[in-house]
Amino acid sequence: MKSINDNDIRSFVDAVGSFFFHTTNEKVEIRAAYLVEGEIQASTFDLTSYITLSGDFSGRVYFSAPRVMVAHLLLAMHELERDDDRLLDAVGEIANTISGNARKHFGEAMQISVPVTQVTEHDWLNSVVSPHSYVILVKWKQYRASVVVDIQRTA
Amino acid sequence: MDKNSGQSIFARYRKIILAVILFVVADSVVIGINFYNTYKADESAVSINLSGRQRMLSQRMTKVLLLLQRSTEAQDEEGIVRNLKELDLTVNLFNTTLKGFRDGDMVTGGDGKPAFLTQVETEISRQLVADAYTIWDRYFDLLQPLLKNSRHYNAAQLEEAVAYAQNNNLEVLRLMNDLTTDLEVVANKRANMLRMVLIVGFVIAFMNFTYTVIVSIRDLMSGDRKLAESRNENVEILATVHEGLFLLSKDKKLGTQFSESLPRMLHREIKPGMDFMPILQSMVSPEIYESAMDYIELLLGERVKESLVTSLNPLTNVPVNMVDKFGTVQNRYLSFFFNRALVDGTISHVLVTVQDVTDKVLLMQQLEQAKSKTKIEIEALLRLAGSDFASLQQFIDNTGQSLSQINEKLSQPQEDERARLHTLNYIMRIIHGIKGEAAVLGIDVLENYAHESEQELVAMRESGHGVSGDQILRIAVLLEGFYERYSSLAAIVTRLADALGMKKAEPPPMDGAKDDKYAENTNSVLQTLTPAEPAQHPFVGHITSLAQRIAADHGKQIEISCQLEGFSSLPPDVTQELQGISIQLVRNALTHGIEIPEERVAHNKPKIGALCIWCKYLGNGDYDFSVRDDGRGIVPERLRNSLVKSGRLSMTEAAALSDTEIAKLIFQPGVSSAAVADKDAGHGVGLDAVMEKVKAIHGRMRVRSSPSMFTEFHVQFSAAR
Repeated sequence: MKSINDNDIRSFVDAVGSFFFHTTNEKVEIRAAYLVEGEIQASTFDLTSYITLSGDFSGRVYFSAPRVMVAHLLLAMHELERDDDRLLDAVGEIANTISGNARKHFGEAMQISVPVTQVTEHDWLNSVVSPHSYVILVKWKQYRASVVVDIQRTA
Repeated sequence: MDKNSGQSIFARYRKIILAVILFVVADSVVIGINFYNTYKADESAVSINLSGRQRMLSQRMTKVLLLLQRSTEAQDEEGIVRNLKELDLTVNLFNTTLKGFRDGDMVTGGDGKPAFLTQVETEISRQLVADAYTIWDRYFDLLQPLLKNSRHYNAAQLEEAVAYAQNNNLEVLRLMNDLTTDLEVVANKRANMLRMVLIVGFVIAFMNFTYTVIVSIRDLMSGDRKLAESRNENVEILATVHEGLFLLSKDKKLGTQFSESLPRMLHREIKPGMDFMPILQSMVSPEIYESAMDYIELLLGERVKESLVTSLNPLTNVPVNMVDKFGTVQNRYLSFFFNRALVDGTISHVLVTVQDVTDKVLLMQQLEQAKSKTKIEIEALLRLAGSDFASLQQFIDNTGQSLSQINEKLSQPQEDERARLHTLNYIMRIIHGIKGEAAVLGIDVLENYAHESEQELVAMRESGHGVSGDQILRIAVLLEGFYERYSSLAAIVTRLADALGMKKAEPPPMDGAKDDKYAENTNSVLQTLTPAEPAQHPFVGHITSLAQRIAADHGKQIEISCQLEGFSSLPPDVTQELQGISIQLVRNALTHGIEIPEERVAHNKPKIGALCIWCKYLGNGDYDFSVRDDGRGIVPERLRNSLVKSGRLSMTEAAALSDTEIAKLIFQPGVSSAAVADKDAGHGVGLDAVMEKVKAIHGRMRVRSSPSMFTEFHVQFSAAR
């Protein structure tokens, strides 16, 4: 049984929003929020980073974004290099911010892994997330990215 | 405690009180003795003075006698008169003084004023006075002719008196001299005694002072020791106790001592004298803070009994947001308990006990969730036992589809405010449908959850700020709540179907689902195994019991006529929509339409309202489905006022619309003529949902109504579309 509430989920989404706002001074807006179910799948984009949580809650929180969006982000950050390594570093940084917010929100008892980053195929997330994981589609400039929250209370 | 300390005041200060009493008594005795001796010293001074005067008077008498003899011989008249006068004065003075020494009497003092001469006290003095009288008695007799200025004495009498004076002059002088000496001895003895008394008094006073000082210091040290012990015990208690303990003064400041766990519990540095209310304000919601402020004011006031207000404490199991030293936000639950501390029957402080009840609250929430799940299972069991299986199966199928529809809608990005509002209305209609169907089958858990969710969604729609991203997220969380309840219900229905040997349709595959728990639960479709088509469609029984239940909830009485001609032969999707339409129209009829018995009687109507649900076959595949009640009817004026009051129309706009146009607005989302919204109606969702269902079956809605008479909804559709 999932026992996370909207405040818990918002803490992850806020972290993404906070990252973009501090680096580009532009807000990120939630455009959709739904559950992974049947035909309705998690939105996977080109580059994905995730952290693994354990403690009172366990599971993973993913951030997935299209390559062009991350490249634009690096441009906004005045980064000259925009190869895959640098792009993955950027989504890793976003996962790091999510990790920091999770630690604040859930407390010290929560164990959080270092972020993992990878280049992902279009349906990769569907093969790894649990049914009824939360998918939150966010928009920055004209791009869309997803925050997928697949965590459950264990305590 | 106060009473005991009151009783033990004498016991506690007994030694000091006794020392003070001893001091007062000793001082009084010394002062008394001193006063007595001073008085005696005065007497001695008079006696010594007058005895010395006696010596002088004895010599003066002899001298005056000799001078009188010479004046007489020289016939010095003036000398005679002067000496006689002198003699008279001297003799009288000597005689009365001597008498005073013997008997005690008033005499003329050394200063010419009357003074009391005390009787001599010692044996020696009494003997000396007696000896003096032995001489003086004869002497005084011989002087009698010479006294009182008498000139009737003769030379022989004078001669004899002079001779006697000469013979006894020295003896009288010696006696008076000895008397003086003896009186001085007595006075010295008395002075010595006085000195002794003073010395003894001083010694006693000194000892008494020393004793008092020692006792006081010992008591003070003992008191300090006990105080230190008490303080140490307090410190130990405050260091050990798990609860946060502190005293709150009348100006709502923290006391000087508090338990060590308090800063840890409140996640902040705590200092004596800090204001409590800002601390509380930073932790709890504004509503709880306001209530807490009122409650603490009540406790600090003298007017209300503590026991009467304890149950009003708003700070039990209260959720608090706290940021620890690492900046981590922690959601905890705390309970604050308040007890008045009284001194002499007056409130001096409030003792506050803080407990971290997070684990307890979370456990309670888990228990509540488990109970909710159990309730769903029990309800499903009861439905299966007391209702037809097909309806329950249909409900599960429909609800699963409805939830998927909501989720699909949510998964589509909403770029503008209008699209979001459209999505919100769409979701509200679906949830309203789930609520209605759950109500028909009596599945309270889903009905109640749908109602709670509906209220949240109505609040979002009515907020006037548009639908935010956070609210979209909230809707997804609400959807997950539906799925949780739905899954539990579907799982128990599936298990029971298996147990009863009923066939179960294969669930459709669930893409991306790794956990087959949900696949099994959410997609279980149970086949109806009813052997034959019942004479009456099962929905008749369901809608009748729902209508009776809603009527009873609203204190109304109804008679239902339900005739669903050809209902069973209609395509399932059409009957499904018609059921949804009738559920909503029945809810509306019973909430807004049919009056309570008293109101009906007052309007000369039968006490029992009439509700008709009919489905008529019109031929050529056409049907007329209607719901009619004989209640208040649609009153355009009331609807017009309601639309203006809710801000949907301006006064001018409302006035410009005809009654028919106004009545048509009841099918718009958010429009309701109900004064108060409840579980059954009033949120402005129902008729919007009805209209969508009518569109779904390509039907046409017609409404007839007459104020205070009836309302009739007709849905005309073709089954052969």
